[in-house]
Amino acid sequence: MSARTVLAVSDLTAAYGNATALHGVSLEVREGETVALIGANGAGKSTTLRTISGLLAARSGRIAWEGKDITNWPADRVVAAGLSHCPEERHVWPEMTVEENLRLGGYLCGSRREVDRRAALAFGRFPRLQERAGQLAGTLSGGEQQMLAIARALMSEPRLLMLDEPSLGLSPKMAEDVFAVVRDINRHGVTVLLVEQNVHNALSVASRAYVLETGRVTAERNAGDLRDDPDLLRTYLGG
Amino acid sequence: MNLALQFLANGLVTGAFYALSALGLTLIFGLMRVVNFAHGEFFMLGGVLGWVATAVLGLDFATAFVLVVAAMGVLGWLVDRFMIERVRGHGEESTILLTIGLSIFLANATLYLAGPAPMKVPAPLTGKPLFLGPVVLTKSRLAAVAVSVVLVLGAYLVIHRTRIGRAMRATFQDAMAAKLSGIRTERIFAATFALGTMLAASAGMLLASIYSAQASVGGLVSLKAFVVVILGGMGSFPGAIAGGLILGLSEAFWGGYVSTGTVDIVGFVMVILILLFRPRGLFSLNAQRA
Ligand SMILES: Nc1ncnc2c1ncn2[C@@H]1O[C@H](COP(=O)(O)OP(=O)(O)O)[C@@H](O)[C@H]1O
Ligand SMILES: [Mg+2]
Repeated sequence: MSARTVLAVSDLTAAYGNATALHGVSLEVREGETVALIGANGAGKSTTLRTISGLLAARSGRIAWEGKDITNWPADRVVAAGLSHCPEERHVWPEMTVEENLRLGGYLCGSRREVDRRAALAFGRFPRLQERAGQLAGTLSGGEQQMLAIARALMSEPRLLMLDEPSLGLSPKMAEDVFAVVRDINRHGVTVLLVEQNVHNALSVASRAYVLETGRVTAERNAGDLRDDPDLLRTYLGG
Repeated sequence: MNLALQFLANGLVTGAFYALSALGLTLIFGLMRVVNFAHGEFFMLGGVLGWVATAVLGLDFATAFVLVVAAMGVLGWLVDRFMIERVRGHGEESTILLTIGLSIFLANATLYLAGPAPMKVPAPLTGKPLFLGPVVLTKSRLAAVAVSVVLVLGAYLVIHRTRIGRAMRATFQDAMAAKLSGIRTERIFAATFALGTMLAASAGMLLASIYSAQASVGGLVSLKAFVVVILGGMGSFPGAIAGGLILGLSEAFWGGYVSTGTVDIVGFVMVILILLFRPRGLFSLNAQRA
């Protein structure tokens, strides 16, 4: 692997009150990769993303982004630095229109013309959203909301996109579409860190995967190896 | 018939004042979802400080207004950053207790410092009342109605048409998503609380030039403002105007034809009925979704 490491998380711990959720997570993401973070419910996948994006304070450890220490930066600085986090369960603003949701994704972009340009790109990529531009986001279907959440996360033109369970609650067909979008985003040069319950989908788009178990990384493998070896997968995921 | 027209005019004027008095609460309770029982005291302080600036210090009305509103903005900002911020996300009970405590403190501190007597802010406009056919209206009332309309419209435009307004709505609908888009939500909360406090104080000072300011008025103002916000639908500015007018008109006609002593009951009866039958407000399209 010649690509440089853009995100390096080392020995990260984090807690909700007194309940420690991460007991020293280390992982690396290289430029242009799609890396999957897999593991059972409650393993700490979302917590890892939340700590990277500044929603949750790290207790110890270090998060380095393109060589800079961004540990415990506030969320707005993390976004400005080029990381974008598309959260679990979509979290679109239900009482705002699709277009308002989208444009707010580019909140930190000072130029209105530039936001126009990015919104036009997003509508080009997601024609369904264009059709529903004036509709309240709360009235969209689950799949459409997921597309909107991804499109919104892309409005800051991130170099790293962190996606948390983008296929959750979607029909297999819808999930297919979402993963096609993830592949497409990655082809356009955006590095992706993907959290998924649906391991087969995750491994179909990722090149490498980290397995998380109760707040610790227990394995790091090529996605192909895991895909071709169901027994190996079972050992890690206990399924 | 002439009497009915006068009741109608009085009701519309009072209604515009109710809408104005509730504007700050539309923002803080309706949009931001902070149950702010100190709203009436912010209104009261606007009037009392307005009286200090004009009647005591001798400033002209416009200068005094700007200074009072700015000072109240600072107070609102501090209250949010140092008090509300600590209980944010810990349920409504904490906020309610906090703002009730704050309201008691503000009312009694004012009572202690300024006394219980009414404090009249000199009206910026004087002169003969206007006679429109059988209806009599004073110029200062009409001017206050005009200012109410401007403030309501201004607040609406800020919330719906500006970048900070969009950031506010995003923050109140889903603060986590707002943070992930780069919005500094703690500033948005403080700015909204400050803006709501400024609107309450503006209303208080304007109305203190028509009626008068009084340290003990806060409780009733808060209650009526909650009535207006609930009637109109949470966080809706057009709704707040409609809610204010409905309350003003009902009180004017009830007071005129039934009895003046029971006027204050009218609003509460309406709120109880609204909460029972249209919990999202009179004008919400989807009353079911409460
Ligand atoms: N908001 C929260 N408050 C308290 N504990 C939480 C919270 N969110 C997650 N946890 C706990 O932290 C651990 C990791 O959760 P999470 O990161 O959401 O797991 P995953 O995304 O892998 O399903 C779990 O034990 C979970 O119960
Ligand atoms: Mg999760």
